Amino acid sequence: MRFAFDDDQIDLRDAVRGLLADTCPPETVRTAWSNSTGRSDAAWGALADMGVVSMALPVDAGGLGLGALDWVLVLEETGRVALPEPVVETAVVGAPLLHALGCDVPAPPASIATLLDSGASLYADTAECLVVLDGDALRMVDPSTARLTAEVSVDRSRRLFAVEMAAGAGTVVATGPQARDAVAAARDRGALAAAAQLIGLAERMLATTVEYVSVRHQFGKPVGAQQALKHKLADVAVAIEFARPLVYRAAWSLDAGDPDSAVHVSMAKSQASDAAELAARHALQCHGAIGYSYECDLHLFMKRAWCLARSWGDARSHRDRVAAAVVDA
Amino acid sequence: MNIVVLVKQIPDPAGPQELNADHTLKREGKLILDESDSYGVEIALQLRESAGGGDVTLVSMAPNGETSGLRTALAMGADDAILVGDDALPGAAALTTAKVLAGAIGRKQYDLVIGAVESSDGYVGVVPAMIAELLGLPSLTFAKKIDIDGSVIRIERQTEAGYDEVEGALPALVSVTAGVVEPRYPSFKGIMAAKKKPLEQVTVADLGVSVPGFNGNEEVTSVEDAPARAAGEKIEDDGTAFERIVAFLDEQKVL
Repeated sequence: MRFAFDDDQIDLRDAVRGLLADTCPPETVRTAWSNSTGRSDAAWGALADMGVVSMALPVDAGGLGLGALDWVLVLEETGRVALPEPVVETAVVGAPLLHALGCDVPAPPASIATLLDSGASLYADTAECLVVLDGDALRMVDPSTARLTAEVSVDRSRRLFAVEMAAGAGTVVATGPQARDAVAAARDRGALAAAAQLIGLAERMLATTVEYVSVRHQFGKPVGAQQALKHKLADVAVAIEFARPLVYRAAWSLDAGDPDSAVHVSMAKSQASDAAELAARHALQCHGAIGYSYECDLHLFMKRAWCLARSWGDARSHRDRVAAAVVDA
Repeated sequence: MNIVVLVKQIPDPAGPQELNADHTLKREGKLILDESDSYGVEIALQLRESAGGGDVTLVSMAPNGETSGLRTALAMGADDAILVGDDALPGAAALTTAKVLAGAIGRKQYDLVIGAVESSDGYVGVVPAMIAELLGLPSLTFAKKIDIDGSVIRIERQTEAGYDEVEGALPALVSVTAGVVEPRYPSFKGIMAAKKKPLEQVTVADLGVSVPGFNGNEEVTSVEDAPARAAGEKIEDDGTAFERIVAFLDEQKVL
């Protein structure tokens, strides 16, 4: 059996890669750190025009009917450029969740914010609608009717908000087991999408660092010629290559309805989180002092990796889920 | 309005470029749409939209039945494509290329033929004018703006000093400069639809074109690396370095 992406999947990835190379260079991420929204100016609209924002919706709902195997490479690209946009929350989590429950999905380029866990909601202030798990009820809320309090994120392009709502605010779209199952599936898509973004981020940090240690000379030769750096970067490459197949396998499992898909997602998210954190740590060390500076782009990718490694469940919580499944079996 | 766009599929310029022993460019593996042709595709799509209908046909010549670059242009919105592939074509000189492409264009009914000024891998820059001559079409080159008014085409022809306004009768051939329009990104729908669009693969024999030996009268006898950039001059500042800088700028006639 040959497990490989087909031409369409590669073409979709390449199209997004080309678009993001133009619309989301590091300066865009840097600008998002200090602008009013934390988001890009041009990338989101271009992605909406391309069909990315509605890609996971069925064709009859205005989407493209793409499954996880189709979008996993697309999400990897959004991670590679540290795209400061709610592509996970809107395209992969929120839109399919609302559609599955028979709700109207806001048309692109409107974005969706989610709060399916305790914690904060990403880009809630610029979202058209907010999907909140409130006890055993799933609610669809107009963010302008909720009280949003900005919270500090280490990645300042990720604008996080604590959400306070009046009791009974918004519309209940599901309750009980229906809400629980829909949210569980949505969380798995979120974890897988974050894992894919972490793979892209890890690769970006590795590539940037390899480039840096090749041009930075000391004692008459590139610093990358020293084994101490070579081995660190080789370890990062190995960690990425061990995590990547788990991410693709989890995508396949979600599409195929594999009964173990949740475990596969957890394997993917835990390994991708670890790989990206290792990439961040070694990239910082191999860069030396310049890596600590605000002016060096590395921190944009590093801080995104730190945040995503803790979003949609951190490595430890996902390993716990794998362990629980193993013990139960 | 029916438009033919000449597109070249080239090795990715971001990757390493290698030459064969006969000094021709290695074209194994995946080829991509030459970026300079994406402007022609975009302007063709816009002209078709403003005309309210018609077809945009791509015409390309490539080895190994390579279609990746054509698929990109089809994904942008072109309707169909003709690909000329022939084992005898690698290394074809400009005149041979022009004859083959003119033969392929002749299979379609067209109002306008659009090409880039030159390809990004060969930089020969004479193929569009040759095709116009072979097809007996007015040749309007270096267009940075195109207007169609009935059966008249007007362009702004880029010059060193600015631009000339040039007018011709349709059918005509236009070569467009980079930057004439902003090429669109192919949409996901377009990418998925591109696979189903007609792509006709033909050989030189199918076109009934006779060519006088594929290399014509051209031969590349040797290839040299571009000279490395000379190192700059380093000056230890003893308090008078600014005088050297001023003298240097004066020499360059910048001041």
